[in-house]
Amino acid sequence: MTTLAQPIEYRGKVINFTPANPKEADIPDEELHEHLFAPSTDRTRRLKGRCRWKHASAGEFVEKGTRAGIERMRLITESHKESRGKPEVIRRALQLAAVLTKGTVVVQQDEFIIGYHAEDPNMFPLYPELSYMNVKDYLQSDYSPQPAAEAEEINNYWKPYSLQSKCEKYFDPIDLTRMYQVSTMEAPSFAHGYNSIVPPYETVLEDGLLKRIDLAEGHIRDAKAEMSKQPWDGTKGLDWISKIDNWEAMVIADKAVIIWAKRHARLCKIVAENFETDPARKEELFEMAEISRRVPAEPCKGLKDAFQVKWYTYLICHGIERYASGYAHKEDKVLWPYYQTSVINKSFQPMTYADAVEMVEMERLKISEHGAGKSRGYREIFPGSNDLFILTIGGTNRDGSDGCNDMTDAILEGARNIRTTEPSMVFRYSKKNRVKTLYHVFECIRDGLGYPSIKHDEIGTEQMKYYAQFSLNGNGATDEEAHDWGLVLCMSPGLVGRRKTMKTRSEGGGSIFPSKILEITLTNGYDWSYSDMQLGPETGYAEDFETFEQLWDAFKKQYAYTISLVIRAKDVSRYMEGHYLQLPFVSSIDDGCMELGREACSLSEQPNGWHNPITTVVGGNSLVAIKKLIYDDKKYTMKQLMEALKVNWEGFEQMQKDFKNAPKWGNDDEYADAVIKRYYEEIIGGEMKKVTNYSGGPVMPVGQGVGLYMEVGSRTGPTPDGRYGGEAADDGGISPYFGTDKKGPTAVLKSVSKVQENQKANLLNQRLSVPMMRSKHGFDIWHSYMDTWHDLHIDHVQFNVVSTAEMKAAQKDPEKHQDLIVRVAGFSARFVDLPTYGQNTIIARTEQQFGAEDFEFLNLELN
Amino acid sequence: MATCEGCAFFFRVPEGEDDFEPGKADCVTEHKDQKGKYWLSKPVFENTETCQNYRKRS
Repeated sequence: MTTLAQPIEYRGKVINFTPANPKEADIPDEELHEHLFAPSTDRTRRLKGRCRWKHASAGEFVEKGTRAGIERMRLITESHKESRGKPEVIRRALQLAAVLTKGTVVVQQDEFIIGYHAEDPNMFPLYPELSYMNVKDYLQSDYSPQPAAEAEEINNYWKPYSLQSKCEKYFDPIDLTRMYQVSTMEAPSFAHGYNSIVPPYETVLEDGLLKRIDLAEGHIRDAKAEMSKQPWDGTKGLDWISKIDNWEAMVIADKAVIIWAKRHARLCKIVAENFETDPARKEELFEMAEISRRVPAEPCKGLKDAFQVKWYTYLICHGIERYASGYAHKEDKVLWPYYQTSVINKSFQPMTYADAVEMVEMERLKISEHGAGKSRGYREIFPGSNDLFILTIGGTNRDGSDGCNDMTDAILEGARNIRTTEPSMVFRYSKKNRVKTLYHVFECIRDGLGYPSIKHDEIGTEQMKYYAQFSLNGNGATDEEAHDWGLVLCMSPGLVGRRKTMKTRSEGGGSIFPSKILEITLTNGYDWSYSDMQLGPETGYAEDFETFEQLWDAFKKQYAYTISLVIRAKDVSRYMEGHYLQLPFVSSIDDGCMELGREACSLSEQPNGWHNPITTVVGGNSLVAIKKLIYDDKKYTMKQLMEALKVNWEGFEQMQKDFKNAPKWGNDDEYADAVIKRYYEEIIGGEMKKVTNYSGGPVMPVGQGVGLYMEVGSRTGPTPDGRYGGEAADDGGISPYFGTDKKGPTAVLKSVSKVQENQKANLLNQRLSVPMMRSKHGFDIWHSYMDTWHDLHIDHVQFNVVSTAEMKAAQKDPEKHQDLIVRVAGFSARFVDLPTYGQNTIIARTEQQFGAEDFEFLNLELN
Repeated sequence: MATCEGCAFFFRVPEGEDDFEPGKADCVTEHKDQKGKYWLSKPVFENTETCQNYRKRS
């Protein structure tokens, strides 16, 4: 039997929480998720059943047979050797063309959206031009490309050309060694190759690539005419050289993409005529062939075209031209014109709403079997998933009206039906959003998917306007364009659309770890608990800090050193990306690059700099405990604290309890919140904001979690918040440490709302009561909570609605709970694919129960 | 020496295709594993030496 929430007396009435669906009363808590999988068609049921998941757990691929392919490495290497002497950007275009015209193309049984980025659907490509260490990591594993000797030779060939080799020499070896510890800061992107991008899908769908080729060829003609003008002016005329090279590279790339799509068309036709026996599938294969023959060369005309072109564009931008995580686009806006044509007007590729939902389910399954050739370290920090994929929906249109439409609903309904961890999605919450769509949002959350996460629509829009003022070419987002934003990865808004989008993670992304920085601040910058080396500048020993302010200043110096170093590493990467890792296809589909003859990595029109503080709250709670127990109450001395920390509290049990019980973040506690608000605004954001990046704008904090809260927690020694060494850190940018938020869900909101200055985004993880959310009052409670969250001007929130009973049952019987999904921090994961250490951090999170006081604060009407 | 031209999986690239070259073809093979069937296509030429998947055209 399902557990029911206890009745609550509220405003003179007893409120009962009977299930919204009476049939659920008989379902045991332990098996709820088994009743929620509801694919809309037999086809999507089959596709999910045979999905080639590329999930990793503790760094290992879960499915046997998953491994790296060699084809991409081989083809780009052959091309690189053959193209010696040509401009670098042309060489990059020729490498892409080699993969697209000489590589293998794939069509699988049952699928309608086609395309893959490796020579076999069980494989994924590698990128030796990005990081030779990453490829080396694969070569030493069971997932090595074969033949391994050839792969090794290729990797050795690329070593001097790789981004890592190009960048390392501009750094002090001591700084590099500190970065490679991944304990106070993430390793530099030039070493790990992890990346993200926001492809301008709109130009491909709206224009088609033949038009983009025409545009580039027109610019080349014009440029050559300009260069021929008399009298010659070398101060201006030479600028055309790099532009002509860029446009020529765009033409090469786009022509290759058209050929690649038509190769898929031929494959569908050949399979239909020579292999397939089912007449209905034959007919469908011919239709698929017709689509890939026409698009992306020409503009999309219907919804089937749009899904297919979006997928082709995704594969090239995220897996073939270069590796990039993410699935950044405003999907409901991108697809809406084609939905109107096919579903509402039925004038091309006519279909029903249900057909559109099936398309969504099929797209989700394509993402689910997408393989990312990430290093082991990056597989470890996204346990239970294959990579980060976040699409954006909802929000407002350019004119400020509600951005929700029937495509938004179809995206949500498809996601709820098919229950996959990928892609995650974010809903931009505005009070203008229609209730019908909000109910779909709620249903996904209530069913435990962990998505959509919710972002404050107006905060994101204002942020785009703020950054626009720093545009180096005076062409940042207009007030209207500022409404066109989506999440670049888990948390940070960035522009979407035809122009000004982010092309590389060297603009924003990467992490810094305040809890570890605080730990070394206590020991003169030395890391005694993990790396046993000096990780930062010498700023004094804790025992010598006579005042809290001295400790504060030392921490600030350590943090400032670290943030400048990591942003410098990103900007040096960005410089080299623009010179050696150009993206001719991405350039060709960006209106700015096309107009200006610029390369996508080097052109910046809209600054969007950020870096992710992860484990911030452990650091904040530690500062609170030190201030309270050492400097204010003087219950302990710093000497005593350092003695206790050095032995992981052993023999200091009462002291550990006192520090554990010191005021904690997330309880609307005046003392704790005052320290932590200052910490966020003055140091975490304030010091970061002093840094100016490649694009000319300030760098702002995006408080995050992903799986790094576990990984870095394991590398962080005991901390003054009462935490033992090696325990996980806090699970989000501004989330209370698990189990320490004891005053209910609205107390958390009150605490979080106090931090407002110098922040770009902050992840708030909340776990809500399953019986309450699944009750007949669930939607009303959630809706009021969201409106209050909105009024408090909080940037983000995401939810777990999964019971402890079900998670514990899954730990005992993983086979039976393959479909149980949980929100980790910025992404959702299959619970059974998480390591036990990670599973336990989810179980330990406070399951927030709403009480009468919370309802009063929400001003909730309940009947 | 047997070449791809005689193989059942050899499908000539039609004239007029953007990637047409004399003698060029798509080598299309069917594969099946526990997850289901899939088809792979890669470019070959009529005089390419046969591979282990070669099946004489009937």
